[in-house]
Amino acid sequence: MGMIQNFGLETKLFLFQLINFLIIVFILKKFLFNPLKKMLDERKRKIEQSLQDAQNAKLALENAGQEKKKILADAKVGADKLMASVKAIADKAKEKALAEAKSRSQQIIEEANNKASAEFENMNKQIGRMSVDVSNKILSKVLSDLFTEEEKQKLMSRALERINEKITN
Amino acid sequence: MKISPDILFNIAGFPITNTVITTLISDVILIVLVFIVAKAISLKPGKTQNAFEAISDYFRETTEGIAGERAAFIYPWVVSFFLFIVISNLVAQIPGFESIRFYTPTSGHHGHALLRAATSDLNLTLALAVTSVIATHVLAVKHTGIKFYIKRFISFKIFPIFLFVGLLEVVNELAKFISFSFRLFGNISAGEKVMATMYGLCPFGLPLPFIALELMVSVIQAIVFAMLTMAFMHIMTDRSH
Repeated sequence: MGMIQNFGLETKLFLFQLINFLIIVFILKKFLFNPLKKMLDERKRKIEQSLQDAQNAKLALENAGQEKKKILADAKVGADKLMASVKAIADKAKEKALAEAKSRSQQIIEEANNKASAEFENMNKQIGRMSVDVSNKILSKVLSDLFTEEEKQKLMSRALERINEKITN
Repeated sequence: MKISPDILFNIAGFPITNTVITTLISDVILIVLVFIVAKAISLKPGKTQNAFEAISDYFRETTEGIAGERAAFIYPWVVSFFLFIVISNLVAQIPGFESIRFYTPTSGHHGHALLRAATSDLNLTLALAVTSVIATHVLAVKHTGIKFYIKRFISFKIFPIFLFVGLLEVVNELAKFISFSFRLFGNISAGEKVMATMYGLCPFGLPLPFIALELMVSVIQAIVFAMLTMAFMHIMTDRSH
């Protein structure tokens, strides 16, 4: 007991120090640890939220990239289809124009042929008539010296008949 | 040299000693710091908050490394012990701390020191030891269950070996009061005596290395007390021990 007194141990002082420290612990807990814990939890939540947002943004970016690729692929398919249909229409129009040109040229050729044939026939007839006149004149000239007037008439008639026959044939 | 604190005066029969005054000064400093830090707490920490978070994080991470999830309820105790002890110890290292004298009818020619390191009073260190041990046991009951807690001290398995082991556990727990309180009290009291001797021998220059030493002792003793509390709380709240 004497030794304890030498160390200055006293119930009142001991209780004072005990209560004093418990009050300090209470103050620390209420005004420091609790707000600090709340803030740390909030900070942790915000960091996790930020990480989650970053992850979401990354996913959205990846999705946007895939969406872009898909849109481009779709657009390419659409453009290819459009090109194919335009080409088909152009081919049809070309074929149609070609066919029309062909038929028109055929028609022109036929018309030219017919015209040429008619011209040829007409020319033949004119040449025939001219040759008859020439023959008549030649014969008249030649026969006037060899035959009498009567014989000339007979020969001429016969020659003209023959020429006429030839022309008509 | 006197080990016990000096009674300066009495208020309603309560003895006011120089260590009580220092305890109250330490309380004021700690409470002011608490409110400064509490006011500065924000998601984006400033210098004050960073400094406190560094201390708090050190103890939290150390406690988590040892006690895992149980660090949540252990580390506030650890930080509380550390802050209170370190401030009490460091306040006493202010130069000229003990040179302010207080005269009473019984104090003699030199009077009593008005201020003395709070932790050089066994009443305080024993109060801290009792708080640490009782808090440890309360947490043990709360987290391991009363049945497991009692089994730690009274067990009839492999009779009488575990009964003897339980008895040793009781002695161990009682020894904690002594080891906790006397370690802190002894280190700080001895430091005070050493400093007083050095100042007495040669007040210029000679005390300097001892001031550095005492500053280290002040912090180390606070860490030792806090760490031992953490270790005992971890052991007592863990079912595998």
